[in-house]
Amino acid sequence: MPLDTSTTYPLTRLRLDGRRWNELRLLQAQISTNPASSGSSYLSMGNTSIMCSVHGPAEGRRGDGGPAGSGHAVVEVDVNVAGFAGVDRKRRAGGSDRQSSRIATTLRSAFQSHLHTYLYPHSTISIHVSVLSADGSLLAAAINACTLALVDAGIPMPGLLCGCTSGMSGSASTPRDPRHDELDPLLDLSLPEEQELPSLTVATTTAVPVGENNMDEDEEAMKVCVLTMESKVHATYLETMLAVGIDGCSQIRELLEGVIKGSRG
Amino acid sequence: MSSQRQASSASQVPHLSPAELSYLYTSLSLPKNPIRPDGRSPTQFRPLSAETTILPGTNGSARIGFADGTQAIVGVKAEVEKTVLAADTLDSRSLAQHGDALNREGEEGSAAVSGQGEWVQMSIEIPGFRDDDALPVFLSEMMRESLVGSVAGGDVDGAKEMAGGLKGRLVINKRWHWRLSCFSPNLSHTPSPLLSLTTHLALLSTKLPKLKSTGEEDPFFDDDWAAAEYLYPRSNTSKSSLSAAPSYPVRPPVTLLVIAVGENVIFDPNREEIAVADAVLAISPGIPNSENVNMLGATAGPGEESGGQEEVEGVWRPRRGGVKRSVIARMVKTVLGKGGVGEEVLEGLEGVEVQ
Repeated sequence: MPLDTSTTYPLTRLRLDGRRWNELRLLQAQISTNPASSGSSYLSMGNTSIMCSVHGPAEGRRGDGGPAGSGHAVVEVDVNVAGFAGVDRKRRAGGSDRQSSRIATTLRSAFQSHLHTYLYPHSTISIHVSVLSADGSLLAAAINACTLALVDAGIPMPGLLCGCTSGMSGSASTPRDPRHDELDPLLDLSLPEEQELPSLTVATTTAVPVGENNMDEDEEAMKVCVLTMESKVHATYLETMLAVGIDGCSQIRELLEGVIKGSRG
Repeated sequence: MSSQRQASSASQVPHLSPAELSYLYTSLSLPKNPIRPDGRSPTQFRPLSAETTILPGTNGSARIGFADGTQAIVGVKAEVEKTVLAADTLDSRSLAQHGDALNREGEEGSAAVSGQGEWVQMSIEIPGFRDDDALPVFLSEMMRESLVGSVAGGDVDGAKEMAGGLKGRLVINKRWHWRLSCFSPNLSHTPSPLLSLTTHLALLSTKLPKLKSTGEEDPFFDDDWAAAEYLYPRSNTSKSSLSAAPSYPVRPPVTLLVIAVGENVIFDPNREEIAVADAVLAISPGIPNSENVNMLGATAGPGEESGGQEEVEGVWRPRRGGVKRSVIARMVKTVLGKGGVGEEVLEGLEGVEVQ
C-alpha cells in the first residue's frame, strides 16, 4: 500500500486523511434521537458513527441474587456492530464477536464506577450501543456516545466521561531518542492508522470539586477513567501519547458540552 | 435483562387484558367505519420520517422512523464476485448470445448470465434472536424473495438496464457479477413493514461504481464515486416533474402489512391491532400498474377447530377458524387495485428525496 502513514508522514507531516498530528476528525452529535428510550444519542467522529440508547434506571430483574440486590444500580451494556459497519461484508455466526464484547466490557466497567449508581438501588441501567459505521476509535466514540445518552437520560454523574485515541506516527519499538525525535504523536486515529500504528484509548473526566477550595481552582483537574492499549510501543513514548490523548479528551469535552447545551437551548 | 425485555418487544405480544382486547376488537370491527386506537382512518399510515444515504461506508442506506421512536436502518453493500458455473453450463453459455441469454431467463439458463437469486442477500438482526433462528431467517427470506421475484415487471416497463429485474442488473459479464447484501442491524423494536419500506429506500439510494471495462474483460471500475450509477436506474427528473410518470422505470417492491378485523380491512396496523386481527396479510405490490402480486404470505388467524367454549361478551379470545375468501380478496384488491393503497405508498416513497 503506497499510502502508508509511517512512510508518508515523515515527508509531509500530514496524515492519510490530510490532518495534522493534533487534529481531531469532524465530530458531530445529537441527543434525544430516539423518543422510545430514556436517553439516546447519535455521534459521529469522522466516518465512525454510533447510535446509543439508554433504558432505565428501571427495576432490576427479580431473583437476581447478584449485584442487583445491592444498594447500587447495575449498568448493562450491549454493543452491536452492524454487518455493514466495516469495509468488508461480515458474516457472524450469531451472537457477538470479540471486538464488540470487549468494548461492552470496557464500557460497563467504566460507567459502573463513573455514574452515581448509589442513587438507584435495586435497579438496572441498560445501554444499547449500535455501531453503524466503524472507522477507527470505536471505543472512544462509544464512550462519548454513551456519555451523551446518559446525560439525556438524566442519570447523575460527576462529569462528562470523554474518550479519545492517540498513537505514534511510527512503530516506536525502540527507545525514544530525545536528540532527534522524528516520531510525532497522533490524535484521534482512523481505522487504517489504528491497524498500522501503536495506539491507545484514554477517557477522562473532570474531578469532583471537593473541600472548601473547590471554587478557587481555575485549572480543570482531569481524572483518567479508562485507559486501554492493545498494541506494542516502547515505554518511553507512552507519556507523550497519554498527554496527547488527554488533551484530545478535553477538546472532545468542549464539543460534547456544546452539543448538550445547544440541544437544551 | 435488556435482552429479555427486547425479546419480548420483538415477539409482538402487547400487554393488554382480555377485556381491553375485546374492546379493541369491537371498535375495529365496527361496520364501515372502524375506530382505531390512534384515530387513523383504515387506510392511513402512521406518519414517518425518512432519510437516505446516511452511512458513509455503504453503497446505499436509509433510515425510517416513526414518531414513537421505532425505527429501522438498512444498509446495502455490493461486492464483485466471480460467477461460478458448472462446466457443462459454461460451454452452452459461451455459445449463447449474451443478450439472448438475458431474455431466456427462466428456461435452462437461470443459473447463468440471467442472474441468480442467491446474489441478493438479506440479513435481519432481531434483538433476542440469533441470526439463524427461525424468525429472522423467515423475515429476511420473505423480503429477499420479493426483491428477487420482482423480475416480471421489469421488462414490461421496458427499462433496458433492468431487463431481468434486479437479478439481471447484478450481472457484469459472463464471469463476474455483483453480490448485494442488505443488512438491518439489531435495533430494538423494528416492525417488519417498516423494514420493507426502509429496504426499498436503501435500494433506491444504492449506487454501483461505473464500469469502465467492456464485454468479457475482468471488471474494472471508475474510481470516481460521483460517476457511480444507481442500482435502480431513474429517468431524468425534469420529465417526471412535468408528467405524472414515475421517475423510476423499475422499483424495488415494498411489503405492506394488512389486517382484517371483522369485515374491515386495516392498513399499517400497530402491535395491538395485529393482536386482535382475524387475518394478517403481507402483500408486496411489485409495480402497481402491472398488478402482479409477487409474494403473498398469509398468516390466517389461529386456525384451531372451534372448541366447545362459549363466547363471553366483553372478554376477548383468539378467533377460531379461518377468514372468508371474500375478505382476503378484498384485502388484496384494496392494495393492488388501480389507485389502490399500494400505488399511494409507492408515490409517497417517491417523495423522499434520494440524493
